[in-house]
Amino acid sequence: MNSPDDVRQQLDAVDYLVDDGLAMAVFLALRLGKPLLLEGEPGVGKTAAAKALAAALNTDFIRLQCYEGLTAGEALYEWNYQRQLLAIRLAEARQEKIGDADLFTAEFLQERPILRAVRYEGRTPPVLLIDEIDRADDEFEALLFEFLGEAAITVPELGTFTAVRPPIVVLTSNRSRELHDALRRRCLYHWIEFPPPSFAAEIVRRTVPGAAAPLIRSATEFIGRARRLELDKAPGLAETIDWVSALTALGVTDLVAADVVSTIGTIAKTPDDRLAVARLATEEPS
Amino acid sequence: MAFVGRLRRAGLAAGVTETGDLVHALEVSPPVSVEALYWTARVALVRRQADLEAFDRVFRAVFDEAPPLPLTRGAVPPSKRDDAHLAVPHGVDETTAGGGLPWATLPPAVAAAEPTDSPLQTPERRPSALAALAELPFEELDPLSLAALGDALRASLTDWPTRRTRRHAVDAAGRRIALRPTIARARRTAWEPVTVVRQRPVRRPRRAVLICDVSESMRAQAAAYLHMMRAFTLVADAEVFAFATTLTRLTPALRRTSADEAMAHATDAVGDRFGGTRIATNLTALLDSHHGNTLRGALVIVASDGWDSDPPARMTAAMARLRRRAHQIVWLNPRAGAPGFAPKVAGMAAALPFCDHLLPAATFADLAAAVRVLTR
Repeated sequence: MNSPDDVRQQLDAVDYLVDDGLAMAVFLALRLGKPLLLEGEPGVGKTAAAKALAAALNTDFIRLQCYEGLTAGEALYEWNYQRQLLAIRLAEARQEKIGDADLFTAEFLQERPILRAVRYEGRTPPVLLIDEIDRADDEFEALLFEFLGEAAITVPELGTFTAVRPPIVVLTSNRSRELHDALRRRCLYHWIEFPPPSFAAEIVRRTVPGAAAPLIRSATEFIGRARRLELDKAPGLAETIDWVSALTALGVTDLVAADVVSTIGTIAKTPDDRLAVARLATEEPS
Repeated sequence: MAFVGRLRRAGLAAGVTETGDLVHALEVSPPVSVEALYWTARVALVRRQADLEAFDRVFRAVFDEAPPLPLTRGAVPPSKRDDAHLAVPHGVDETTAGGGLPWATLPPAVAAAEPTDSPLQTPERRPSALAALAELPFEELDPLSLAALGDALRASLTDWPTRRTRRHAVDAAGRRIALRPTIARARRTAWEPVTVVRQRPVRRPRRAVLICDVSESMRAQAAAYLHMMRAFTLVADAEVFAFATTLTRLTPALRRTSADEAMAHATDAVGDRFGGTRIATNLTALLDSHHGNTLRGALVIVASDGWDSDPPARMTAAMARLRRRAHQIVWLNPRAGAPGFAPKVAGMAAALPFCDHLLPAATFADLAAAVRVLTR
């Protein structure tokens, strides 16, 4: 990919539409070899961006879902203790001597997603998605610094692994917690805005191929109106896609209030929101 | 470089790394249009959503043909921006001005005991003097004793309630076997795991979220509550919000080490002090914002007298949502300590069924008692 326009076209080919900002962000992340931190409201396509990038580059997609208490053992590497103990017993039975170097070698090392990305042996580097980094705790962020800065991982017993071709790293965050400045400094940043209705309609058209054009138009317009209501959870792009898929599965070609009410579970996710959205549908027939 | 300099003056944290990124980015993607240059610069320089606005402003000022806009934040005078972090002259001014305040708060006997001649000396107070002050209602305290009591409150916040996390640490009393240290220890005993190392879950201070009313009806308490908010922010890593008609997040302002600086920044940050009150609207705004997730499993402390200009039905809805997310809700009401108090104000009555505790908060002694209830 050698220009932002090229990025846009290649992502377009795998049915992921990007605006100028995201195209530039992805292009720069690829060219500068820096991790890309994506933020934006839930359901705006942050995770999908990483998946689409992997598909467009035709390379492997490695995903690390973050949660509280995530440690090196789950994210970087772990020693295979069972095999180590067996090796000890075996050496005993054969009356051999074993030293440190025999037990802490690469054959007893279990790869976890980040080490797998570092040791990846393919022609194109893999896309590593570190999803919802805000759900992990501060300690885990600190664990990532070496990897994000140098694309390297140090295993104390063994040495430092440095990636031959640094993986393409995408981090996503929902801002449920403020990320540390040191993490932000190591990444390029892009804030994904909710797309305007015409762009949203185009995205839905590409993701739900069987949907009728008038249905998509009226559905995205309706979502645009619903987002202006005071909702507990405003419907995002993911909800819009679910909804249009649901309506298409029901064979709807033109949106009427009764259809909105029957499929309301795909766009309104709390009892209060159900009421508000149903009211919007009945008072403004679309 | 000049552009980054301007961004820094506008309050954007663009450092050497970011500048380097921009230079590399311009190398690989020579700007063909202003649009492309905008995205290149934005992706390379901006690292948080809050900075986007300032970036846009500076970018427009530099690259549009419009005359340059004022590039500083409203609160900070243009020329003094770089001096904002120097606490020393600020602190000295404050202390020396303490004697000659323009308004008529005659410093009573306690303040006379202050060593006002040397601002650098730490004032020594006997515990009993502070204890007596703590019994006074907030409106009868002067700023210096408020600060002293704020510090005392902070010192008393020692055992904050904790919660269990999913992270484990080595502990002899733990139940889970820690494999890695056990194998490492077995090295000393010819790889025979003689000593089993154990681990247990780490406990962390439970997150606290403090929501303070700074409207007209709470004028007397506002300064004291600022000190309470600062104590909670520093000790328990609390998220702090102040509201009257709109919600303001005060956590970054209050996290500063210097008390004077923290108070000054917090006071600047709240734009709508001593206005009307819209409790329900602000609670809903907090729940809807991305900070709404910090409320999950948190200790939520609302400090307000419950005078609300929103209808009680809204309050019920907002409190019900808050109840579903929070671990515990404590309402601090400055009027609750008065004899014959009953929660009859509509807003307060609507909120009460969702609260775990309703506690008086008219003096620092009350606040200390409230903390004891929380840590029980």
